[in-house]
Amino acid sequence: MGKHKSPARYSAAGLAWRGLRNKSWPRVWREPELKSAYDVVVIGGGIHGLATAYYLASNHAITNVAVVDKAYLGSGGSGRNTAIVRSNYLTPEGVAFYDRSLDLYNTMSTDLNINVMFSERGHMTLAHTDSALRTMNWRAEVNKLQGIDSSVIAPDEIKKLSPSLDTSPNTRYPILGALYHPPGGTIRHDAVVWGYARAADAYGVDLHQKTEVLDILCEGGAGPNGKGAGGKVTGVRTNRGDIHAPVVVNCTAGWASTIASMAGVRLPITTHPLQAAVTEPVKTFLPTVIVSGSLHVYVSQTDRGELVFGASVDPVANYDMKGTLEFTEELAGHVLELMPGLSKMRLMRQWAGLCDMTPDYSPVMGPTPVDGFLVDVGWGTYGFKAGPVSGEQMAACIAHESMPDLIAPFVLSRFTDGTLVGEKGAAAVGH
Amino acid sequence: MTTRLPAQPNEVIDRSKPLAFTWNGKKMRGFEGDTITSAILANGEHIISRSMKYHRPRGVLTADFWDPNTSVQVGDEPNVRASHRALVAGMAVSAQNVWPSLKYDAKAANGLVGRFLTAGFYYKTFMKPAKMWPAYERVLARFAPGGKVDLDTPHGYHDKRYAHPDVVVAGGGPSGLAAAVEAARAGASVMLVEHEHDLGGHLRWGSNDDADALAGLVAEAESAGVEILTNSTVTGRYEDNWLAIAQRNHPIAVERLIKARAKVLVVAPGLIERPYVFAGNDLPGVMTSGAVRRLIAMYAIRPGNRAVVLTANESGDAAIDELERAGIEIVKVIDARTGATVTKASGSKSRVKAVTCSDGSIVDADLLVTATGWTAPTSLLNMSGDRPVYDPASARFFADSPPDNVLTTGGIAGDGNRDELISHGRSTGRLAAARAGVARHRIQAATTRATAVDGPEPAYPDDTRSPLGRDPHPELFRSTSHGMVDFSEDISSKDLFGAAAEGFDSVELLKRFTTATMGPSQGKLETVNTVAVLAEARGETLAEVGTTVWRPPYAPIALGALAGRVFEPVRVSSIQPWHEANGSTPILAGQWVRPEHYGAPQQEVRNTRANVGITDVTPLGKLDLQGPDVAKLLSQLYTNKWMQLAIGSVRYGIMCAEDGVVLDDGVTGRLGDEHYLMTTTSSGAGGVWNWIENWLQTEHPEWQVHVTPVTTGLTSINVAGPNSRELMSRLVGDDIDLDPDAFKYMQVRTGTIAGVADCVVWRIGFTGELSFEIHVPSGHGLHVWETLLGQGESLGVAPFGLEAQRIMRLEKGHFIVGQDTDGLSKAPTTGMIGLLKFDKDDWAGKPEVAWALEGDYPRIVAIQPTDPSIVPDEACQILREGTKDIVGRITSSRFSPTLDRAVCLGQVTPEFAGPDTTLTVQLVNGEQITARVMQHHAHFDPEGERLRG
Repeated sequence: MGKHKSPARYSAAGLAWRGLRNKSWPRVWREPELKSAYDVVVIGGGIHGLATAYYLASNHAITNVAVVDKAYLGSGGSGRNTAIVRSNYLTPEGVAFYDRSLDLYNTMSTDLNINVMFSERGHMTLAHTDSALRTMNWRAEVNKLQGIDSSVIAPDEIKKLSPSLDTSPNTRYPILGALYHPPGGTIRHDAVVWGYARAADAYGVDLHQKTEVLDILCEGGAGPNGKGAGGKVTGVRTNRGDIHAPVVVNCTAGWASTIASMAGVRLPITTHPLQAAVTEPVKTFLPTVIVSGSLHVYVSQTDRGELVFGASVDPVANYDMKGTLEFTEELAGHVLELMPGLSKMRLMRQWAGLCDMTPDYSPVMGPTPVDGFLVDVGWGTYGFKAGPVSGEQMAACIAHESMPDLIAPFVLSRFTDGTLVGEKGAAAVGH
Repeated sequence: MTTRLPAQPNEVIDRSKPLAFTWNGKKMRGFEGDTITSAILANGEHIISRSMKYHRPRGVLTADFWDPNTSVQVGDEPNVRASHRALVAGMAVSAQNVWPSLKYDAKAANGLVGRFLTAGFYYKTFMKPAKMWPAYERVLARFAPGGKVDLDTPHGYHDKRYAHPDVVVAGGGPSGLAAAVEAARAGASVMLVEHEHDLGGHLRWGSNDDADALAGLVAEAESAGVEILTNSTVTGRYEDNWLAIAQRNHPIAVERLIKARAKVLVVAPGLIERPYVFAGNDLPGVMTSGAVRRLIAMYAIRPGNRAVVLTANESGDAAIDELERAGIEIVKVIDARTGATVTKASGSKSRVKAVTCSDGSIVDADLLVTATGWTAPTSLLNMSGDRPVYDPASARFFADSPPDNVLTTGGIAGDGNRDELISHGRSTGRLAAARAGVARHRIQAATTRATAVDGPEPAYPDDTRSPLGRDPHPELFRSTSHGMVDFSEDISSKDLFGAAAEGFDSVELLKRFTTATMGPSQGKLETVNTVAVLAEARGETLAEVGTTVWRPPYAPIALGALAGRVFEPVRVSSIQPWHEANGSTPILAGQWVRPEHYGAPQQEVRNTRANVGITDVTPLGKLDLQGPDVAKLLSQLYTNKWMQLAIGSVRYGIMCAEDGVVLDDGVTGRLGDEHYLMTTTSSGAGGVWNWIENWLQTEHPEWQVHVTPVTTGLTSINVAGPNSRELMSRLVGDDIDLDPDAFKYMQVRTGTIAGVADCVVWRIGFTGELSFEIHVPSGHGLHVWETLLGQGESLGVAPFGLEAQRIMRLEKGHFIVGQDTDGLSKAPTTGMIGLLKFDKDDWAGKPEVAWALEGDYPRIVAIQPTDPSIVPDEACQILREGTKDIVGRITSSRFSPTLDRAVCLGQVTPEFAGPDTTLTVQLVNGEQITARVMQHHAHFDPEGERLRG
């Protein structure tokens, strides 16, 4: 099945032609009418939802699909993360999964015909203690055997790669070494969202912004209104009307458990804010992504010159996205510990996003006890880097009505039969 | 060619104090009181920067903190706001982001191809060939704006201050000043925070009457005891009026963070004048009315020679008066209230030369002054949870419903003449003080006080202020032509129309796609125009389009100020001075510094095994647990049983997280009926304490247990080796009987050691030797240590460090949580199956551990390389022979002086865990060796005869 319509191709020639003729570009996606029925309704217009819709259309010719979002596309975690990608995980499952994601990111600009600005600038995780160094060695040895480019480097090499780091032994937490992962890097997160949205739209997928799901319609379940185990989904109720659909996919973050409860499904998820901040721009000086687990900070510099900082999730579960002063204070202290020369740089903006944490730091994907209601949730702090592969695999899961191998470990039932996955070692401050 | 005017009545410069500085290497002079910008202007130059994308020359636009065109480099400091920063003698000021010079900037060539560089152009190109993108990216990154960071910038002094004022007033204009005065007179402690260098707001560039009124208010504030902070900004309002205040004029700190918990916050930032969008609006010589008034009145700067004024309000009208008074020719006044406007400013690249009016006339002018309306800086209201509402009649946003402890006054609350603004400020101050009084009463009543709180709680004061009016104002955002909307990002209204037409037509998408409002101005000047242009593009009202959320900080704040003194204490035991004096090699272990060894760790092992060694184990986490329910707590946390532990006994336990993964391990002893001492791993001490509090506070608040962390309160020393009992006998008092039958392995005694009372001593054996672990009050730790060394001389006593301890525990096969286990290791992996008690009601991790036992969990095993001389590095992988399949890894490895061979612990899959299995170990260099799985975890004395002796 071909594309629904051909989008205006993005290219330098196109820019020149339109620039000369003073012509603007056509709409990046349509503003479609809300139909009363679709084959699949995807809840959540972030990278996971849009990628799922795109791969449903492109890989499986399922195009009668709606993506609904209560705000605008990419308004949740997709637009709030710090856009770091890597694949040097610890478990074979984790490595295989994220490596596929990195593959998809690598070819995304040409696949989706939008420059997502994948910057393969290298990713360094610093070790400040003997035990951290031991863990780095372990990860490096595992990655080596799995064919992942990842090795432990010494302070002098670290200094060469990132001269702004204080690698002297005189700091409070001297840098003893680092796990260096050259293929890791950053990406323009918004462009990924827009790329999937535009490509999905071109296949005829309907993108509905400002469309909030108020309820999930079910029948036959054990709970009230036919919800819960044993039932099946029949559609969703939105602020713009009901939509009938035999398949509803929950691709939300921050509200995953709230949405799931609308179908009578309980998820083992607690929601924590994750805060981030950005400085005023300065001339670029930081060529790699720097992560320090001991100091709870990660930092990269955008091509616009801003330093982007992130940290660990807030310790207390809540839905507050206002951010805290304490976060900026600790962050600044830790950044200056790593790069003492930055004390006169200024913090320009702070924000927060919501992270759905599961007990084993791994997502929940695939079917639920309610027939036709699927989830792609629980993405903690690592959802962005997994977006493409999650969409690809969820689409396959929906199309074939079976769990693909790559995501089979992430089924919801693992919490009741004891087959937890566990990427805790690699993902706890895994950016 | 100076543009300095003769003395102005209210000028802030001190002409008797000239200051020398350099601008792009050129020597210049200004006066004390000048900003960097006013000093540069006074020297006849008017281009201060180049724009981000097109590198267009830029001059003064607003002449205040928010001016997007006057960011400069000052020495090692990038992005200095030159229209705010006070000139200091000797400053080396230079333009940012220009090459080769501000005057001739090569990247200005971008302007020639501007039509191709529409907002977001980079998403549409540089995709092919894919391998070229890194090169493209490097070029793009060279266009990053901003100044240069000097990586050798010293950290400087940045200590923070904590304050607990009743009322904080953010903004020291007439209303804010009046509010501060009245609040202080009503008995409140008041902090008045003014963003600029002096109090007064717009009164500073007003009439002589304004100046007199201002002087009166300042005198009132001083006599009322208001704490006045100038050149300081309330940068953030967090939960419950937790305020961040950046103080930029501290005598020592470059910038200081004041953290204030205010009972009431009065938001009085005034209004920010909004630039107007039309063709050529970013040419040097186009300024807001506020800029012109400030330059003339405060700095005596002639902003131009022939002026056109576009005015829609009193500020524009006042600018006309000010220009006339300064003798500047006004060639045309366009009154926007009549519907007339400006459509274009044209000129050379560096200055306005002509202005095209909406009636078609073209006027020669080198200065175009716009007064087209105001933006209410509602950041602090946003941060308080308020969602300001747009009022089309006044063409600006107003607060909707801020919380009761956040009040507004001044321009953000409405319009009025000077007296009305002051009057509103005064009533706001009284209300703030009254509300703060109630809050104070509540706090005092809720806490235990030496003196009782007087009387009943006062009634909560309602807001009975007569509100300020709202002057009508035309909605002026964009003329009939396209011009710059976001000056710091080089985003024009044409870019915004284009992006909206492409479908980025909600305000957040537009912002993200074009980057409008995302630069250093953070929306102060451009948010409303951005929203207005989008509304125009969509054919909607501003209210329908909505606005973005303003996030902290209100003004950028230095990382140094946020960090404060980088202060993370180093933890050391009371014996550390001895270690340092006696040749120890220190090692950093988490927060602790401790001795790794004293020169020869292998010899330290041999001596301990042969004679007696002592080691400082103070970093062991120690928690004092008291209360009737301690045993229940222990049973919940540890996998084994604790209800029957006898007084005088100790027990080893493993703790799991709820996913069954090993969290910590250690020994806990029962000292009395309701008194226990728990030890944890050194690195786990904080986590276990949190874990315990979590159980006590959220799961079992009914349990009566007091937890006191005593890690540093007790100095811990392990005395190990065959002579340890003899050594101990020379130190203990009569209250401790060391007879092997009276004091058995895994028992605890309290008593006197080396004359120190209240010591705890227990018999355990991490090293595998007969050993006594003693915990003495820290003040006596060094004394006990030295006494042990002195008394033990004839017994061959010698200290040993962490490395020797690690070797001995490895010889003995004791695993270390976090080294031999990891974030995936559930309890059964440790091999301590006997400690997993499923006949207990519940314990953390029980179901997960039960599931794990049914499956193929990895096993910790003792491993010995076939070649005894090869010590594989920790983290070496164990492979299935002839494949790359990982079946395990070496978790600990050392050369054992006792056995004279390499010894290891490792984790392997069950298939490879059987005794005498031959393993293939891949070394870090890629070579492979073979190794053997041992019968028992202990490489040495598996029967434990030595430690039980």
